[in-house]
Amino acid sequence: MDAGIDQHLAAGRHARAFDLVVPAYKDRVFRLACSILKERAAAEDATQETFVRVWKALPGFDGRAALGTWIYAIARNTCLMELRRRRPTVSFDDPDSAEAQHAAASIATGPAADPERDNLMRLLDTLPRNQQEAVRLFYLEDRSYEAVAEQLGMPLGTVKNLLHRARKRLMELARTDEVKAA
Amino acid sequence: MNDPTLIGPCADYEYDLVELQDGALAPERTQVVRRHLDACPRCRAWAREFATLDARLAAELPRLVLPADFEHRLQARLTALTRRASTDEQRAAADGEYERMVEWIRRGTRRHVLLDTVVWVAATVCALVAARELLGIAVQLLPAPQHGPARWVALGGLGAAVAVAALAWAARRGGHTLRVQP
Repeated sequence: MDAGIDQHLAAGRHARAFDLVVPAYKDRVFRLACSILKERAAAEDATQETFVRVWKALPGFDGRAALGTWIYAIARNTCLMELRRRRPTVSFDDPDSAEAQHAAASIATGPAADPERDNLMRLLDTLPRNQQEAVRLFYLEDRSYEAVAEQLGMPLGTVKNLLHRARKRLMELARTDEVKAA
Repeated sequence: MNDPTLIGPCADYEYDLVELQDGALAPERTQVVRRHLDACPRCRAWAREFATLDARLAAELPRLVLPADFEHRLQARLTALTRRASTDEQRAAADGEYERMVEWIRRGTRRHVLLDTVVWVAATVCALVAARELLGIAVQLLPAPQHGPARWVALGGLGAAVAVAALAWAARRGGHTLRVQP
């Protein structure tokens, strides 16, 4: 797919290239936005905005980075701008912050109001933001370290480390929760 | 062997156990880790707990998909942007044309003012010469101080005054013409 896109880009056929870019990347960009923004509507808007930016910037794409890396960087920036726009002064890494509470509430509004599920999502929301993003994206991307590394723009080793620390911490938190419940 | 009552796997196998669960462990290492698992209850317990968490995360993290009309809405947005850009270009072209026209009028007006001035000065000089010829007879009757160079100074002064008045009038007329509102 990327080869066809590259051919169109090399020939200056940006509109044709863009027509191939959207179906090739829309789902992955959406999953990346979901992992960062944690809300469906916001993630959908960010995905739209990302492709509008890609459309505007595609004539200037110089091919120094891989197309996917470039698109994911635009997507991450779009999501981070959205986060900044929402609450410019609140740290996401603070689990007690209002944003973390809001995120915990928004993620719990899934199709099934399962207390066990809500509990796990609540525990996940207490982790630092980069660990949350890595975990969410890892499972959305069917357990692919490489996909997470590419989309988050991190080295593979960093992603493995983040995932390992995040899940280990979740196990500890779940254990503590069980002890409290007992 | 390890104490099964302790929480946590053997440090040497912790990362391997995670990668084994994620399906990312190299086949040759998988055999080694499986052999260790058979022999180590602590690692077995931890791996089981990790597998449970892994399964819960995979099942409970919301799997959101983009709505079917995503591309259609994106296309509509891009079309609107293109149309707006096109309108902006047309407006910019019209503004440029208007500016060029105004500049052309300004230049024409300046040229006109210059020509007016020349014509008025020439007319004044001609009038002075004619007056001198017509008044040639009367000059004989003029009083003494107006004989010789003093007479020419008086006539020159009169001519200069008329020229200045003509210039002022022409400039005023030109300035009025220049007052064109964009």
